Amino acid sequence: MTAVSGTPLFGGRVARLRRTRPGFLTVVSAAVLALMALAAIGGTWIAPYDPAAQDVALGASMPSWAHWAGTDDLGRDVLSRCLAGARSALLWPVIVTLCTCAMSTTLGLLAGYRRGWVDAIMMRVVDLLIALPGMLVLIVLVGVLGGGIGWAVLALAVLFTPGDIRVVRSLTMAQRELAYAEAARTLGLRPTRIMFRHLLPNIAPTVVAGALLSFVAGLVALSGLSFLGIGLPAGTPDWGLMIEENRTLLDLNPWASVIPAALVTIAATAATLLGDRLFERLSDAA
Amino acid sequence: MAFLARRLGAAVLLLGVLSLLSFVLLAAAPGKPENLLLGPRPSTPETRAAIRAQFHLDDPIHERYLSWLGGALHGDFGTSVYTREPVTSIITERLPVTAGLATYALILTIGVGIPLGLAAAMRRGGRLDQGITLTSLVALAVPPFALSILLLYGFAVTLGWFPVFGAGETAAERIAHLTLPAVALAAGEAAVVVRQMRAAALDLVGQDYLTFARARGLSLPRVWISYALRNTALPVLTVGGLLLAANLTGALFVERAFGLPGLGELLVTAVARKDIPVVQALVLLGGAVVVVVNLLIDLTYLAVDPRVRHGAVAS
Amino acid sequence: MLLEINGLTIAGPAGTIVDGVGLTVAAGEMAGLVGESGSGKSLTARAAIGLLPKGLRASGSIRVGGVEIVGTAGERVLRGLRGRRVSLLMQDPFSMLNPLRTAGAHIAETMPGRATREEVARRLAEVGIDDPSVAGRYPFQLSGGMRQRVALAAALAGDPELLIADEPTTALDATTQHEILALLARVQADRGMGVLLITHDLRVAFAICDRVSVMYAGRVLEQGPGTSLAQAPAHPYTAGLLRALPSVEYTLEHLTGIPGSVPPAAQVASECAFAARCDHATTRCRASRPPLREIGDGRLTACVHDTLPRLTARDVATGTLPTGSGEPLLVVDDLVKRYGTHTALGGVSLQVAAGETVGLVGESGSGKTTLARSVLGLVTPDQGRIELDGLDITRRRALTRQERARVHRLVQCVFQDPSTSLNPAMTVGATLAEAATRAEPADRLAPGDLLELVGLPPGYATRRPKGLSGGQRQRVAIARALAVRPSLLICDEPVASLDVSVQAHVLELLRGLGRELGTAMLFITHDLAVVRQIAVRTVVLFKGRVVEQGDTATVLDAPAHDYTRRLVAAIP
Repeated sequence: MTAVSGTPLFGGRVARLRRTRPGFLTVVSAAVLALMALAAIGGTWIAPYDPAAQDVALGASMPSWAHWAGTDDLGRDVLSRCLAGARSALLWPVIVTLCTCAMSTTLGLLAGYRRGWVDAIMMRVVDLLIALPGMLVLIVLVGVLGGGIGWAVLALAVLFTPGDIRVVRSLTMAQRELAYAEAARTLGLRPTRIMFRHLLPNIAPTVVAGALLSFVAGLVALSGLSFLGIGLPAGTPDWGLMIEENRTLLDLNPWASVIPAALVTIAATAATLLGDRLFERLSDAA
Repeated sequence: MAFLARRLGAAVLLLGVLSLLSFVLLAAAPGKPENLLLGPRPSTPETRAAIRAQFHLDDPIHERYLSWLGGALHGDFGTSVYTREPVTSIITERLPVTAGLATYALILTIGVGIPLGLAAAMRRGGRLDQGITLTSLVALAVPPFALSILLLYGFAVTLGWFPVFGAGETAAERIAHLTLPAVALAAGEAAVVVRQMRAAALDLVGQDYLTFARARGLSLPRVWISYALRNTALPVLTVGGLLLAANLTGALFVERAFGLPGLGELLVTAVARKDIPVVQALVLLGGAVVVVVNLLIDLTYLAVDPRVRHGAVAS
Repeated sequence: MLLEINGLTIAGPAGTIVDGVGLTVAAGEMAGLVGESGSGKSLTARAAIGLLPKGLRASGSIRVGGVEIVGTAGERVLRGLRGRRVSLLMQDPFSMLNPLRTAGAHIAETMPGRATREEVARRLAEVGIDDPSVAGRYPFQLSGGMRQRVALAAALAGDPELLIADEPTTALDATTQHEILALLARVQADRGMGVLLITHDLRVAFAICDRVSVMYAGRVLEQGPGTSLAQAPAHPYTAGLLRALPSVEYTLEHLTGIPGSVPPAAQVASECAFAARCDHATTRCRASRPPLREIGDGRLTACVHDTLPRLTARDVATGTLPTGSGEPLLVVDDLVKRYGTHTALGGVSLQVAAGETVGLVGESGSGKTTLARSVLGLVTPDQGRIELDGLDITRRRALTRQERARVHRLVQCVFQDPSTSLNPAMTVGATLAEAATRAEPADRLAPGDLLELVGLPPGYATRRPKGLSGGQRQRVAIARALAVRPSLLICDEPVASLDVSVQAHVLELLRGLGRELGTAMLFITHDLAVVRQIAVRTVVLFKGRVVEQGDTATVLDAPAHDYTRRLVAAIP
């Protein structure tokens, strides 16, 4: 190899410029997500009403002192249902994220580090899964076959993993060619140690950012399924399901569907923003 | 040519897998297939036996798959178990709405996404860039169904600028009816284009060959057309497939939210009613569209990038 | 004057980068601008064509063909100048051409008026490409040297009066480098054009430039005719660089680098920039900033002292290198490795004796790195045999666990790129401690001791690679390799990415380690001067075959093979 002297002109300086203290939006995003997490944990206790309690005589009503966000057509308190709904709206996407992350990181590292037939087979499967119109298949599978939210979560994890495997794999392949990784191999370190102690920390920013994106995608997909009436049983307090059940009440109590729609939007936006900023900061620090 | 052959092979394989998946769906669906095929009508042992005979349910599964596939290839997807109409005619009836919505959204996506992405890249770090980047991030995150509800409430219910439900009759009405849905559908896709375009343009600015071109005093139009547009087209094209998938699934939600009688709405209803022949046809159709568009993207690649044309990169 | 730069200062968000540079280029002149990385030479070049990266501002004066381009000139004026008055040739032939456009298109689009096929062919012929079909090829279909020729033709297509060539040969192989430099000199003479050649390679600058400016920390420290600068430098920095330069003619007793590292220009604004690293520094040097002053013969220096620094190292007698015991440690026999249709190694045989340092010389594509990787077990050869200390290690998978552990202790490696040689996520101490766990318990050294072995303070153990300079990182990489006390150290271009002054330190360190620890080395390099300083024996590799081997002195002074002769001839 011939010597290429001289350093990249401005890489360092631009990176330093960007490494400022956490911005206003980052703080707000983190705070919003924390609040929502609190609601997911303790929402049912804070809620002024039992989210399932009906008041059919009252029916759908606009916000009032008794019901701050009004009621739906069965007279259920919208605010209480939104608070209680945080749990299913956020918990399942978290599970999707954990599954996706664990599978894609392990398999991606393995494929990228080991190469050979492991990689070849895995990539064939990944290519196929990526090319499938995933959500379409998911809706049809879960919709027709039934099986509820558990299957939907599993199917989503399987659906999200291939894309992340590809990313982790290509990063791993790039890292494994670098001198420090070759030095680790020359020292005779165990492959698992090289993969998890040496390579993983250097691709972690992308993995973390990818996890937040998986969370967003999971949130959007699962509330989307609920919106189509697939997955969760009808009547469960869940943001997606509330939008679906109350969207015909736009004239009676628009808040019954607008608030959950806004909540899904805010949660997704906050997580995306956080992922974006986190990625920039982590990759600068490396 | 090897490139194209490989891509064609992959496309056929993918369609095969999809057809198999959607066919197996019927066999795997809970309940006996003849009950599913009968739909909601009352049944006697005789009608059930007739159905079994009519759909060759007693034949081995691979023969049934082949005869179904043969029919599908000739445009015959059977009849809806719910409305008793031929699936093909139901689909042709619904197609214009979805096609109109998708085209409208595509125009918005490209018309808004590319200029904004370029503008952000040119004003890198400035207020305009920050604004565009942030907006695109939000648009990227918002689920289309939530956005639909918010748009409906804001612009149709509160402001009354647009009609609330339905697809409209005349052309002008159509456009009015489709505007909000198209915006809801295009927002996320435009965000993808903006981000991709911005990244591609910034990457281009950092490239030696652009500096070299400027150092040789090339005219602005030359730099724009021969360098900027052509070289950024490739990375933006790569997200084309992604956009399409988003378009397909997005249409499902948007049509439902706005009560548009399109293919997405048809699929959701068919899934809810377990109207298997309709579902099968739509899955296959969706897959075919994805495959065809991805092939078109590959062809464009072939035309634009000499490295692909000469097989220098295995992509 | 084609180019007149006066008091040029370039500032970025982090402060001043270039500080008060002045230089001129006349018609028919080949002017050189030399400096190590970070000296600001490339930015000066960019400023001269009005193409500073975003976020940087130039002040002072730059006149191109009499037109002032700093401050007042808009993009329109600049575009009128570029291509026709002044043009730029850049470093990397692999990124300088648009991958989607043909070679001919690059030339045609730069020519004023319509370009005919014949005219493009004529332009290609001017840069030594006689095959007109090259015009229809895409960059990826051309070799590095060809791309650089095409780029030169494109840069010259607008018939500029002045060409700024920014490290135009750095990314190329030695022989190609030689050709391109000769081509550049010929074209310059034929056209009577002015050239500003920016390079980090002192030999190149002194050999082909009429006048040379030496830059350091954003300013010019010395200026003068290339030959007189090479013989009698008037600034201690230039002298230090020359002293650090390894000689290709004889083995130096000591390789002396310059201590310390380059300060940021902003930090030394009001003193001599070199004072902190200079042996001759006095309080006068720090009191104020020494101006460039004339010392006759068209020479200028920014040193306040009247006595010229002496070039002592050249006078010292020839140094000796450890020859080893004669017992073969590494035996490579008829090694073959193919990648698809490409043969990386076509039957290579060589030996390294215990304690001996063998140089492995070759250009990119010669197979030298594949050979190293085969010995390290990172690549499995297709045929042949590798034996290390009596153990057949050709196929690592065939070894037992114990044998494999032994091999890892027998051979270690120092890699080329200092920016990736250490894991950025681990501290230096953690890296060294991890390596030490692989050593025999009796040989185990603490990170602090290992650092001391390579001349670094033990306190560096807590640092991360980001906080180290390139030379320091290479030292840590050497310490990591030595942690297992290997019998054989493979050095894969360990100094190729380092500046000359740092390179000398690292080479000296490796030589010392060879002597004191008795570690055998297989030293891979493309630089004949480096091999002269470190290896007793040299093996020349060309297209996957050994074309010549023997005593380094014999191989370099009386090369037998045609390819070796070309390599030796390519030294500037």
